[in-house]
Amino acid sequence: MNGRECAKSTPAWSEHPIWRKIGLAFGLAALLLIYVPILWLILMSFSGDPLSGFPGDFTVRWYANLGESRNWLQPLVVSLALATGVSIVSMLCSTIVGRTVARMRRKGMAAAVLAVTLLPLAIPGVIIGTALFLYFRVLLGFKMGIWSLCIGHFVWAFPFALLAVLVVALRFDIRLLDAAADLGADPLERFRSVEFPLLKDGIIAGGLFSFLLSFNEIARSIYLRGRIETLPLYVWQQASSHRSNVVLIYPLNVLILLGSTLVVVFAFRRLFGKNTAVK
Amino acid sequence: MVRDILHPPAGTNYKGLTIFLSAWSFFVLIPIAGLFLWSFLTMENFRPVWNLSLQAYREVLSSGRWQVAYRTLGTASLVTLVEVVLAFPFALWLAKGTRKTGVKITVLALLTIPFFLSLSARTIGWRSLLGLHGPINYSLMASGITDSPLDWLLFSQFAVVLGLLGPYFPTMVFPLYLSIGLIDDEILAASKDLGATPKDTLLYVILPLAFPGLGAGIIFTFIPMIGDSVIPTLLGGGHVILLSSSVESLLRILNYSVAASLSVVMLMLMTLMIMAVSYVSVIVIRRKGNPLGEIR
Repeated sequence: MNGRECAKSTPAWSEHPIWRKIGLAFGLAALLLIYVPILWLILMSFSGDPLSGFPGDFTVRWYANLGESRNWLQPLVVSLALATGVSIVSMLCSTIVGRTVARMRRKGMAAAVLAVTLLPLAIPGVIIGTALFLYFRVLLGFKMGIWSLCIGHFVWAFPFALLAVLVVALRFDIRLLDAAADLGADPLERFRSVEFPLLKDGIIAGGLFSFLLSFNEIARSIYLRGRIETLPLYVWQQASSHRSNVVLIYPLNVLILLGSTLVVVFAFRRLFGKNTAVK
Repeated sequence: MVRDILHPPAGTNYKGLTIFLSAWSFFVLIPIAGLFLWSFLTMENFRPVWNLSLQAYREVLSSGRWQVAYRTLGTASLVTLVEVVLAFPFALWLAKGTRKTGVKITVLALLTIPFFLSLSARTIGWRSLLGLHGPINYSLMASGITDSPLDWLLFSQFAVVLGLLGPYFPTMVFPLYLSIGLIDDEILAASKDLGATPKDTLLYVILPLAFPGLGAGIIFTFIPMIGDSVIPTLLGGGHVILLSSSVESLLRILNYSVAASLSVVMLMLMTLMIMAVSYVSVIVIRRKGNPLGEIR
Protein backbone atom coordinates (compact mmCIF):
# COMPACT_ATOMS: atom_id res chain seq x y z
CA MET A 1 0.00 0.00 0.00
CA ASN A 2 2.98 2.34 0.04
CA GLY A 3 4.57 4.39 -2.67
CA ARG A 4 6.85 1.69 -4.01
CA GLU A 5 4.07 -0.79 -4.57
CA CYS A 6 1.84 1.65 -6.33
CA ALA A 7 4.47 2.60 -8.90
CA LYS A 8 3.66 -0.36 -11.12
CA SER A 9 3.08 -0.07 -14.83
CA THR A 10 -0.12 -2.11 -15.15
CA PRO A 11 -1.73 -2.15 -11.76
CA ALA A 12 -4.49 -4.58 -10.90
CA TRP A 13 -7.64 -2.91 -9.59
CA SER A 14 -6.63 -3.68 -6.03
CA GLU A 15 -3.27 -1.94 -6.30
CA HIS A 16 -4.47 1.05 -8.22
CA PRO A 17 -3.01 4.33 -6.85
CA ILE A 18 -6.56 5.55 -6.37
CA TRP A 19 -6.71 3.75 -3.01
CA ARG A 20 -4.16 6.08 -1.51
CA LYS A 21 -6.13 9.02 -2.83
CA ILE A 22 -9.31 7.60 -1.30
CA GLY A 23 -7.62 7.28 2.09
CA LEU A 24 -6.48 10.88 1.93
CA ALA A 25 -9.84 12.10 0.61
CA PHE A 26 -11.82 10.37 3.39
CA GLY A 27 -9.51 11.87 6.01
CA LEU A 28 -9.80 15.34 4.54
CA ALA A 29 -13.59 15.00 4.42
CA ALA A 30 -13.66 14.09 8.11
CA LEU A 31 -11.29 16.92 9.00
CA LEU A 32 -13.61 19.28 7.14
CA LEU A 33 -16.54 18.00 9.21
CA ILE A 34 -14.50 18.85 12.31
CA TYR A 35 -13.12 22.22 11.30
CA VAL A 36 -15.77 23.83 9.06
CA PRO A 37 -18.20 24.46 11.96
CA ILE A 38 -15.33 25.89 14.05
CA LEU A 39 -14.13 28.25 11.30
CA TRP A 40 -17.70 29.19 10.47
CA LEU A 41 -18.31 30.06 14.12
CA ILE A 42 -15.27 32.35 14.13
CA LEU A 43 -16.36 33.99 10.88
CA MET A 44 -19.93 34.54 12.12
CA SER A 45 -18.74 36.02 15.42
CA PHE A 46 -17.36 38.95 13.42
CA SER A 47 -20.50 39.33 11.31
CA GLY A 48 -23.15 41.98 11.74
CA ASP A 49 -25.88 39.38 12.23
CA PRO A 50 -24.43 36.04 13.44
CA LEU A 51 -27.88 34.45 13.60
CA SER A 52 -28.48 34.91 9.88
CA GLY A 53 -27.04 32.28 7.61
CA PHE A 54 -24.49 34.51 5.96
CA PRO A 55 -21.36 36.35 7.06
CA GLY A 56 -20.96 39.97 6.11
CA ASP A 57 -21.01 43.50 7.49
CA PHE A 58 -17.96 42.66 9.59
CA THR A 59 -17.71 44.17 13.05
CA VAL A 60 -16.23 43.60 16.48
CA ARG A 61 -19.45 44.85 18.06
CA TRP A 62 -20.31 41.48 19.66
CA TYR A 63 -16.93 41.26 21.33
CA ALA A 64 -17.46 44.74 22.73
CA ASN A 65 -20.94 43.75 23.91
CA LEU A 66 -19.44 40.90 25.90
CA GLY A 67 -17.93 43.53 28.17
CA GLU A 68 -21.36 45.04 28.86
CA SER A 69 -23.54 42.01 29.48
CA ARG A 70 -21.77 40.38 32.40
CA ASN A 71 -24.01 37.31 32.80
CA TRP A 72 -21.25 35.00 31.63
CA LEU A 73 -18.73 36.27 34.19
CA GLN A 74 -20.07 34.33 37.19
CA PRO A 75 -20.20 30.95 35.32
CA LEU A 76 -16.69 31.65 33.99
CA VAL A 77 -15.30 32.17 37.50
CA VAL A 78 -17.05 29.00 38.74
CA SER A 79 -15.68 26.96 35.82
CA LEU A 80 -12.14 28.29 36.22
CA ALA A 81 -12.11 27.56 39.95
CA LEU A 82 -13.60 24.11 39.43
CA ALA A 83 -11.16 23.21 36.65
CA THR A 84 -8.20 24.44 38.70
CA GLY A 85 -9.26 22.37 41.72
CA VAL A 86 -9.92 19.26 39.64
CA SER A 87 -6.58 19.55 37.84
CA ILE A 88 -4.62 19.93 41.11
CA VAL A 89 -6.29 16.88 42.68
CA SER A 90 -5.84 14.94 39.41
CA MET A 91 -2.13 15.75 39.28
CA LEU A 92 -1.66 14.64 42.87
CA CYS A 93 -3.62 11.39 42.54
CA SER A 94 -2.28 10.45 39.10
CA THR A 95 1.28 10.89 40.39
CA ILE A 96 0.61 8.62 43.38
CA VAL A 97 -1.15 5.94 41.31
CA GLY A 98 0.97 6.26 38.17
CA ARG A 99 4.37 5.88 39.81
CA THR A 100 3.16 2.96 41.95
CA VAL A 101 1.57 1.09 39.05
CA ALA A 102 4.65 1.61 36.87
CA ARG A 103 6.88 -0.24 39.37
CA MET A 104 4.48 -3.01 40.37
CA ARG A 105 6.22 -6.35 40.12
CA ARG A 106 3.08 -8.42 39.56
CA LYS A 107 1.68 -7.51 36.14
CA GLY A 108 -1.73 -8.96 37.02
CA MET A 109 -2.05 -6.57 39.96
CA ALA A 110 -1.05 -3.58 37.83
CA ALA A 111 -3.61 -4.59 35.21
CA ALA A 112 -6.32 -4.90 37.87
CA VAL A 113 -5.54 -1.44 39.30
CA LEU A 114 -5.60 0.05 35.79
CA ALA A 115 -8.88 -1.68 34.91
CA VAL A 116 -10.53 -0.22 38.01
CA THR A 117 -9.12 3.29 37.60
CA LEU A 118 -9.70 3.52 33.84
CA LEU A 119 -13.25 2.14 34.16
CA PRO A 120 -14.92 5.56 33.73
CA LEU A 121 -13.56 5.69 30.17
CA ALA A 122 -15.80 2.73 29.30
CA ILE A 123 -19.05 4.11 30.73
CA PRO A 124 -21.08 6.85 29.03
CA GLY A 125 -21.13 10.15 30.92
CA VAL A 126 -24.90 10.13 31.40
CA ILE A 127 -24.76 6.82 33.20
CA ILE A 128 -21.92 7.92 35.53
CA GLY A 129 -23.80 11.15 36.21
CA THR A 130 -26.97 9.22 37.04
CA ALA A 131 -25.11 6.76 39.26
CA LEU A 132 -23.41 9.55 41.25
CA PHE A 133 -26.66 11.50 41.53
CA LEU A 134 -28.64 8.53 42.86
CA TYR A 135 -25.85 7.65 45.30
CA PHE A 136 -25.05 11.08 46.77
CA ARG A 137 -28.36 12.93 46.44
CA VAL A 138 -30.99 10.23 46.89
CA LEU A 139 -29.25 7.54 48.94
CA LEU A 140 -26.96 9.63 51.17
CA GLY A 141 -29.14 12.74 51.07
CA PHE A 142 -26.41 15.34 50.36
CA LYS A 143 -27.30 18.59 48.58
CA MET A 144 -25.68 18.81 45.16
CA GLY A 145 -23.24 21.67 44.75
CA ILE A 146 -19.72 22.55 43.77
CA TRP A 147 -18.38 19.48 45.61
CA SER A 148 -20.46 17.04 43.56
CA LEU A 149 -19.37 18.78 40.35
CA CYS A 150 -15.81 18.37 41.59
CA ILE A 151 -16.25 14.62 42.09
CA GLY A 152 -18.00 14.14 38.74
CA HIS A 153 -15.33 16.07 36.85
CA PHE A 154 -12.54 14.31 38.71
CA VAL A 155 -13.92 10.88 37.76
CA TRP A 156 -13.92 12.00 34.11
CA ALA A 157 -10.52 13.74 34.12
CA PHE A 158 -8.48 11.39 36.31
CA PRO A 159 -8.11 8.48 33.82
CA PHE A 160 -6.64 10.86 31.25
CA ALA A 161 -4.23 12.38 33.77
CA LEU A 162 -3.20 8.87 34.80
CA LEU A 163 -2.49 7.90 31.19
CA ALA A 164 -0.34 11.03 30.77
CA VAL A 165 1.66 10.20 33.92
CA LEU A 166 2.05 6.56 32.84
CA VAL A 167 3.64 7.73 29.57
CA VAL A 168 6.56 9.15 31.55
CA ALA A 169 6.47 6.84 34.59
CA LEU A 170 6.91 3.72 32.44
CA ARG A 171 9.99 5.30 30.86
CA PHE A 172 11.50 6.13 34.25
CA ASP A 173 14.49 3.96 35.14
CA ILE A 174 14.03 2.89 38.75
CA ARG A 175 17.77 2.21 39.16
CA LEU A 176 18.29 5.98 39.32
CA LEU A 177 16.64 5.90 42.73
CA ASP A 178 18.96 3.14 43.92
CA ALA A 179 21.92 5.18 42.73
CA ALA A 180 20.60 8.20 44.63
CA ALA A 181 20.11 6.04 47.73
CA ASP A 182 23.69 4.76 47.48
CA LEU A 183 24.84 8.37 47.36
CA GLY A 184 23.04 8.97 50.65
CA ALA A 185 19.80 10.67 49.57
CA ASP A 186 16.81 10.13 51.87
CA PRO A 187 13.43 9.11 50.33
CA LEU A 188 12.06 12.65 50.16
CA GLU A 189 15.21 13.95 48.54
CA ARG A 190 15.21 11.04 46.07
CA PHE A 191 11.68 11.95 44.99
CA ARG A 192 12.27 15.69 44.87
CA SER A 193 15.55 15.85 43.02
CA VAL A 194 15.57 12.63 40.97
CA GLU A 195 12.11 11.24 40.29
CA PHE A 196 9.93 14.36 40.17
CA PRO A 197 12.01 16.26 37.59
CA LEU A 198 11.70 13.27 35.23
CA LEU A 199 7.95 12.82 35.82
CA LYS A 200 7.20 16.53 35.80
CA ASP A 201 6.21 16.90 32.15
CA GLY A 202 3.71 14.03 32.27
CA ILE A 203 2.21 15.36 35.50
CA ILE A 204 1.82 18.87 34.11
CA ALA A 205 0.36 17.63 30.83
CA GLY A 206 -2.09 15.45 32.78
CA GLY A 207 -3.03 18.46 34.89
CA LEU A 208 -3.66 20.60 31.81
CA PHE A 209 -5.77 17.86 30.20
CA SER A 210 -7.78 17.57 33.42
CA PHE A 211 -8.27 21.32 33.46
CA LEU A 212 -9.68 21.33 29.92
CA LEU A 213 -11.84 18.23 30.38
CA SER A 214 -13.37 19.77 33.50
CA PHE A 215 -13.67 23.22 31.93
CA ASN A 216 -15.69 21.86 28.98
CA GLU A 217 -17.64 19.11 30.78
CA ILE A 218 -21.42 18.94 30.25
CA ALA A 219 -22.73 15.34 30.26
CA ARG A 220 -22.06 14.68 33.98
CA SER A 221 -22.56 18.26 35.16
CA ILE A 222 -26.25 18.20 34.19
CA TYR A 223 -26.98 15.78 37.03
CA LEU A 224 -24.48 16.98 39.61
CA ARG A 225 -24.80 20.75 39.38
CA GLY A 226 -27.40 21.51 42.04
CA ARG A 227 -27.90 25.26 41.59
CA ILE A 228 -24.39 25.91 40.29
CA GLU A 229 -23.99 27.18 36.74
CA THR A 230 -20.76 26.38 34.93
CA LEU A 231 -19.69 28.13 31.75
CA PRO A 232 -20.38 25.21 29.35
CA LEU A 233 -23.83 24.71 30.90
CA TYR A 234 -24.53 28.43 30.55
CA VAL A 235 -23.37 28.50 26.91
CA TRP A 236 -25.25 25.31 26.08
CA GLN A 237 -28.50 26.56 27.58
CA GLN A 238 -28.15 29.90 25.82
CA ALA A 239 -27.51 28.07 22.57
CA SER A 240 -30.53 25.78 22.94
CA SER A 241 -32.85 28.68 23.74
CA HIS A 242 -33.89 31.30 21.21
CA ARG A 243 -33.45 34.42 23.28
CA SER A 244 -32.07 37.69 21.93
CA ASN A 245 -28.72 37.64 23.75
CA VAL A 246 -27.85 34.30 22.14
CA VAL A 247 -25.71 36.33 19.73
CA LEU A 248 -23.15 36.81 22.49
CA ILE A 249 -22.57 33.05 22.50
CA TYR A 250 -20.62 33.40 19.26
CA PRO A 251 -17.80 35.66 20.49
CA LEU A 252 -17.83 33.90 23.88
CA ASN A 253 -17.39 30.50 22.20
CA VAL A 254 -14.58 31.85 20.01
CA LEU A 255 -12.74 33.12 23.08
CA ILE A 256 -13.19 29.75 24.87
CA LEU A 257 -11.92 27.90 21.79
CA LEU A 258 -8.91 30.18 21.54
CA GLY A 259 -7.99 29.81 25.23
CA SER A 260 -8.44 26.02 25.15
CA THR A 261 -6.33 25.64 22.01
CA LEU A 262 -3.46 27.55 23.63
CA VAL A 263 -3.59 25.26 26.68
CA VAL A 264 -3.63 22.11 24.49
CA VAL A 265 -0.64 23.25 22.45
CA PHE A 266 1.24 24.06 25.66
CA ALA A 267 0.36 20.63 27.15
CA PHE A 268 1.53 18.75 24.07
CA ARG A 269 4.82 20.63 23.98
CA ARG A 270 5.30 19.59 27.60
CA LEU A 271 4.44 15.95 26.97
CA PHE A 272 6.04 15.32 23.58
CA GLY A 273 8.16 18.39 22.90
CA LYS A 274 11.47 16.78 23.78
CA ASN A 275 11.21 13.97 21.29
CA THR A 276 9.01 15.26 18.52
CA ALA A 277 10.19 12.53 16.19
CA VAL A 278 8.55 9.86 18.35
CA LYS A 279 5.17 11.49 18.20
CA MET B 1 17.57 -9.93 39.14
CA VAL B 2 20.25 -9.70 41.76
CA ARG B 3 19.52 -6.08 42.57
CA ASP B 4 15.96 -6.86 43.59
CA ILE B 5 17.07 -9.56 45.99
CA LEU B 6 19.78 -7.44 47.58
CA HIS B 7 17.46 -4.60 48.40
CA PRO B 8 13.92 -3.77 47.24
CA PRO B 9 13.57 -1.04 44.63
CA ALA B 10 13.59 2.34 46.26
CA GLY B 11 10.26 3.94 47.05
CA THR B 12 7.84 1.08 46.38
CA ASN B 13 5.13 2.02 48.78
CA TYR B 14 1.53 0.98 48.46
CA LYS B 15 0.17 3.29 51.17
CA GLY B 16 -0.81 6.13 48.81
CA LEU B 17 -2.33 3.74 46.28
CA THR B 18 -4.36 1.99 48.99
CA ILE B 19 -5.79 5.26 50.29
CA PHE B 20 -6.62 6.36 46.76
CA LEU B 21 -8.30 3.08 45.86
CA SER B 22 -10.47 3.17 49.00
CA ALA B 23 -11.64 6.69 48.16
CA TRP B 24 -12.12 5.66 44.52
CA SER B 25 -14.34 2.74 45.58
CA PHE B 26 -16.43 5.01 47.78
CA PHE B 27 -16.84 7.76 45.18
CA VAL B 28 -16.95 5.75 41.95
CA LEU B 29 -17.17 1.97 42.16
CA ILE B 30 -19.93 1.72 44.79
CA PRO B 31 -22.15 4.30 43.01
CA ILE B 32 -21.79 2.39 39.73
CA ALA B 33 -22.54 -0.93 41.39
CA GLY B 34 -25.41 0.77 43.22
CA LEU B 35 -27.02 1.54 39.88
CA PHE B 36 -27.86 -2.15 39.53
CA LEU B 37 -29.44 -2.20 42.99
CA TRP B 38 -31.49 0.92 42.23
CA SER B 39 -32.92 -0.65 39.13
CA PHE B 40 -34.57 -3.41 41.19
CA LEU B 41 -36.22 -1.08 43.70
CA THR B 42 -39.80 0.10 43.41
CA MET B 43 -40.97 3.69 43.74
CA GLU B 44 -43.82 4.63 46.04
CA ASN B 45 -44.82 8.25 46.46
CA PHE B 46 -41.57 9.39 44.85
CA ARG B 47 -39.48 7.48 47.41
CA PRO B 48 -37.62 4.26 46.68
CA VAL B 49 -38.89 1.30 48.69
CA TRP B 50 -36.66 -1.59 49.72
CA ASN B 51 -38.75 -4.10 47.90
CA LEU B 52 -36.86 -5.88 45.16
CA SER B 53 -38.82 -6.34 41.97
CA LEU B 54 -38.58 -6.14 38.21
CA GLN B 55 -41.20 -3.43 38.07
CA ALA B 56 -38.80 -0.74 36.84
CA TYR B 57 -37.74 -2.94 33.95
CA ARG B 58 -41.38 -3.64 33.07
CA GLU B 59 -41.95 0.10 33.08
CA VAL B 60 -39.03 0.65 30.70
CA LEU B 61 -40.76 -1.76 28.32
CA SER B 62 -44.32 -0.56 28.79
CA SER B 63 -43.63 3.19 28.77
CA GLY B 64 -41.85 2.97 25.44
CA ARG B 65 -38.55 4.11 26.95
CA TRP B 66 -36.94 1.09 25.29
CA GLN B 67 -37.39 2.94 22.03
CA VAL B 68 -34.94 5.53 23.34
CA ALA B 69 -32.40 2.79 24.00
CA TYR B 70 -33.08 1.35 20.55
CA ARG B 71 -32.81 4.73 18.82
CA THR B 72 -29.65 5.72 20.71
CA LEU B 73 -27.92 2.42 19.93
CA GLY B 74 -29.09 2.61 16.32
CA THR B 75 -27.80 6.15 15.81
CA ALA B 76 -24.51 5.38 17.54
CA SER B 77 -24.03 2.17 15.50
CA LEU B 78 -24.73 3.97 12.23
CA VAL B 79 -22.25 6.76 13.02
CA THR B 80 -19.65 4.25 14.24
CA LEU B 81 -20.01 2.28 11.01
CA VAL B 82 -19.52 5.40 8.88
CA GLU B 83 -16.49 6.30 11.02
CA VAL B 84 -14.95 2.87 10.33
CA VAL B 85 -15.44 3.34 6.59
CA LEU B 86 -13.91 6.82 6.71
CA ALA B 87 -11.15 6.10 9.21
CA PHE B 88 -9.72 2.78 7.97
CA PRO B 89 -8.42 3.99 4.57
CA PHE B 90 -7.27 7.21 6.20
CA ALA B 91 -5.39 5.42 9.00
CA LEU B 92 -3.81 3.16 6.39
CA TRP B 93 -2.69 6.18 4.40
CA LEU B 94 -1.43 7.94 7.54
CA ALA B 95 0.51 4.92 8.78
CA LYS B 96 1.84 3.47 5.51
CA GLY B 97 0.91 5.84 2.70
CA THR B 98 2.92 8.89 3.66
CA ARG B 99 6.56 9.04 4.71
CA LYS B 100 6.67 12.69 5.70
CA THR B 101 6.99 13.15 9.47
CA GLY B 102 5.79 16.74 9.27
CA VAL B 103 2.54 15.69 7.59
CA LYS B 104 1.98 12.99 10.20
CA ILE B 105 2.54 15.30 13.15
CA THR B 106 0.28 17.98 11.68
CA VAL B 107 -2.53 15.52 11.00
CA LEU B 108 -2.24 13.95 14.48
CA ALA B 109 -2.29 17.39 16.11
CA LEU B 110 -5.31 18.43 14.03
CA LEU B 111 -7.10 15.29 15.21
CA THR B 112 -6.15 15.70 18.89
CA ILE B 113 -6.75 19.38 19.58
CA PRO B 114 -10.56 19.40 19.02
CA PHE B 115 -11.02 16.68 21.65
CA PHE B 116 -10.25 19.17 24.37
CA LEU B 117 -12.44 21.95 22.98
CA SER B 118 -15.98 22.71 24.07
CA LEU B 119 -18.41 20.46 22.21
CA SER B 120 -21.22 23.00 22.17
CA ALA B 121 -18.88 25.62 20.69
CA ARG B 122 -17.91 23.16 17.97
CA THR B 123 -21.50 22.20 17.23
CA ILE B 124 -23.33 25.51 17.18
CA GLY B 125 -21.74 26.47 13.85
CA TRP B 126 -23.78 23.72 12.17
CA ARG B 127 -27.00 25.50 13.16
CA SER B 128 -26.16 28.44 10.97
CA LEU B 129 -24.62 26.27 8.21
CA LEU B 130 -27.63 23.94 7.94
CA GLY B 131 -30.37 26.48 8.69
CA LEU B 132 -33.18 27.42 6.31
CA HIS B 133 -31.30 30.58 5.27
CA GLY B 134 -27.85 29.04 5.60
CA PRO B 135 -25.22 28.68 2.87
CA ILE B 136 -26.00 25.03 2.12
CA ASN B 137 -29.67 25.67 1.40
CA TYR B 138 -28.72 28.84 -0.46
CA SER B 139 -26.31 27.08 -2.79
CA LEU B 140 -28.75 24.20 -3.33
CA MET B 141 -31.40 26.67 -4.43
CA ALA B 142 -29.03 28.88 -6.41
CA SER B 143 -27.80 25.89 -8.41
CA GLY B 144 -31.37 24.87 -9.08
CA ILE B 145 -31.20 21.48 -7.35
CA THR B 146 -34.14 22.37 -5.11
CA ASP B 147 -36.83 25.04 -5.37
CA SER B 148 -37.41 25.58 -1.65
CA PRO B 149 -35.02 25.25 1.29
CA LEU B 150 -34.70 21.72 2.69
CA ASP B 151 -36.17 21.74 6.18
CA TRP B 152 -34.77 18.31 7.11
CA LEU B 153 -31.20 19.59 7.08
CA LEU B 154 -31.46 20.99 10.63
CA PHE B 155 -33.30 19.71 13.73
CA SER B 156 -33.49 16.20 12.36
CA GLN B 157 -31.93 12.77 12.58
CA PHE B 158 -29.74 13.77 9.62
CA ALA B 159 -28.36 16.81 11.47
CA VAL B 160 -27.58 14.73 14.56
CA VAL B 161 -25.72 12.08 12.54
CA LEU B 162 -23.79 14.74 10.59
CA GLY B 163 -22.93 16.58 13.81
CA LEU B 164 -21.70 13.39 15.51
CA LEU B 165 -19.42 12.41 12.60
CA GLY B 166 -16.79 15.12 13.14
CA PRO B 167 -16.24 14.99 16.92
CA TYR B 168 -16.10 11.17 17.03
CA PHE B 169 -13.75 10.67 14.08
CA PRO B 170 -10.39 11.07 15.91
CA THR B 171 -11.22 8.37 18.47
CA MET B 172 -11.60 5.91 15.60
CA VAL B 173 -8.48 6.98 13.69
CA PHE B 174 -6.02 6.87 16.59
CA PRO B 175 -6.24 3.18 17.60
CA LEU B 176 -6.36 2.13 13.91
CA TYR B 177 -3.34 4.30 13.14
CA LEU B 178 -1.39 2.84 16.07
CA SER B 179 -2.19 -0.78 15.21
CA ILE B 180 -1.43 -0.38 11.49
CA GLY B 181 1.71 1.58 12.32
CA LEU B 182 2.97 -1.35 14.42
CA ILE B 183 2.89 -3.66 11.37
CA ASP B 184 6.46 -3.97 10.19
CA ASP B 185 7.16 -2.85 6.63
CA GLU B 186 9.19 -6.06 6.27
CA ILE B 187 6.04 -8.13 6.80
CA LEU B 188 4.25 -6.27 4.02
CA ALA B 189 7.26 -6.69 1.75
CA ALA B 190 7.45 -10.41 2.60
CA SER B 191 3.78 -10.85 1.78
CA LYS B 192 4.40 -9.24 -1.61
CA ASP B 193 7.49 -11.31 -2.29
CA LEU B 194 5.55 -14.46 -1.55
CA GLY B 195 3.22 -13.52 -4.38
CA ALA B 196 0.30 -11.98 -2.55
CA THR B 197 -1.62 -9.34 -4.43
CA PRO B 198 -2.18 -6.08 -2.53
CA LYS B 199 -5.76 -7.24 -2.00
CA ASP B 200 -4.51 -10.44 -0.35
CA THR B 201 -2.04 -8.43 1.74
CA LEU B 202 -4.84 -6.19 2.89
CA LEU B 203 -7.24 -9.03 3.69
CA TYR B 204 -4.85 -11.59 5.17
CA VAL B 205 -2.08 -9.48 6.67
CA ILE B 206 -3.12 -5.90 7.42
CA LEU B 207 -6.74 -6.53 8.42
CA PRO B 208 -6.08 -9.31 10.97
CA LEU B 209 -3.18 -7.35 12.50
CA ALA B 210 -5.28 -4.17 12.65
CA PHE B 211 -8.23 -5.90 14.35
CA PRO B 212 -7.27 -4.95 17.92
CA GLY B 213 -7.06 -1.31 16.82
CA LEU B 214 -10.41 -1.60 15.08
CA GLY B 215 -11.95 -3.03 18.25
CA ALA B 216 -10.47 -0.29 20.44
CA GLY B 217 -11.60 2.35 17.94
CA ILE B 218 -15.16 1.03 17.95
CA ILE B 219 -15.28 1.01 21.76
CA PHE B 220 -13.76 4.50 22.18
CA THR B 221 -16.13 5.92 19.57
CA PHE B 222 -19.32 4.05 20.37
CA ILE B 223 -19.40 4.41 24.17
CA PRO B 224 -18.92 8.17 24.55
CA MET B 225 -21.35 8.77 21.68
CA ILE B 226 -24.13 6.96 23.56
CA GLY B 227 -23.75 9.39 26.46
CA ASP B 228 -23.59 12.51 24.34
CA SER B 229 -26.11 15.12 25.43
CA VAL B 230 -24.92 18.18 23.53
CA ILE B 231 -25.23 17.30 19.85
CA PRO B 232 -28.73 15.71 19.96
CA THR B 233 -30.07 18.75 21.87
CA LEU B 234 -28.43 21.40 19.69
CA LEU B 235 -29.03 19.75 16.30
CA GLY B 236 -32.03 17.51 17.03
CA GLY B 237 -34.10 20.44 18.27
CA GLY B 238 -36.33 18.29 20.47
CA HIS B 239 -37.24 15.89 17.65
CA VAL B 240 -34.45 13.43 18.32
CA ILE B 241 -34.68 12.22 21.93
CA LEU B 242 -31.66 10.14 22.83
CA LEU B 243 -30.62 8.46 26.08
CA SER B 244 -29.29 11.57 27.82
CA SER B 245 -32.45 13.67 27.64
CA SER B 246 -34.62 10.66 28.46
CA VAL B 247 -32.69 9.90 31.66
CA GLU B 248 -32.69 13.59 32.54
CA SER B 249 -36.48 13.80 32.26
CA LEU B 250 -36.86 10.64 34.38
CA LEU B 251 -34.72 12.14 37.13
CA ARG B 252 -36.66 15.39 36.93
CA ILE B 253 -39.94 13.59 37.65
CA LEU B 254 -38.11 11.71 40.45
CA ASN B 255 -38.54 8.32 38.80
CA TYR B 256 -35.20 7.06 40.07
CA SER B 257 -35.63 3.33 39.65
CA VAL B 258 -36.72 3.58 36.01
CA ALA B 259 -33.80 5.94 35.29
CA ALA B 260 -31.48 3.36 36.87
CA SER B 261 -32.97 0.43 34.97
CA LEU B 262 -32.81 2.32 31.67
CA SER B 263 -29.10 2.96 32.40
CA VAL B 264 -28.57 -0.71 33.27
CA VAL B 265 -30.35 -1.82 30.10
CA MET B 266 -28.05 0.48 28.10
CA LEU B 267 -24.94 -0.86 29.84
CA MET B 268 -26.05 -4.45 29.21
CA LEU B 269 -26.84 -3.83 25.53
CA MET B 270 -23.52 -2.01 25.10
CA THR B 271 -21.60 -4.86 26.69
CA LEU B 272 -23.47 -7.40 24.54
CA MET B 273 -22.74 -5.46 21.34
CA ILE B 274 -19.07 -5.11 22.22
CA MET B 275 -18.83 -8.81 23.06
CA ALA B 276 -20.55 -9.66 19.78
CA VAL B 277 -18.14 -7.45 17.82
CA SER B 278 -15.09 -9.00 19.48
CA TYR B 279 -16.50 -12.54 19.08
CA VAL B 280 -17.13 -11.98 15.38
CA SER B 281 -13.66 -10.52 14.88
CA VAL B 282 -12.05 -13.53 16.58
CA ILE B 283 -13.99 -15.85 14.25
CA VAL B 284 -13.06 -13.78 11.22
CA ILE B 285 -9.39 -13.88 12.15
CA ARG B 286 -9.53 -17.65 12.74
CA ARG B 287 -11.34 -18.39 9.50
CA LYS B 288 -9.11 -16.17 7.38
CA GLY B 289 -6.25 -18.07 8.98
CA ASN B 290 -3.88 -15.46 10.30
CA PRO B 291 -0.76 -16.29 8.26
CA LEU B 292 1.50 -14.87 10.95
CA GLY B 293 0.09 -17.27 13.49
CA GLU B 294 2.08 -20.12 12.05
CA ILE B 295 5.35 -18.24 11.94
CA ARG B 296 5.22 -17.17 15.57
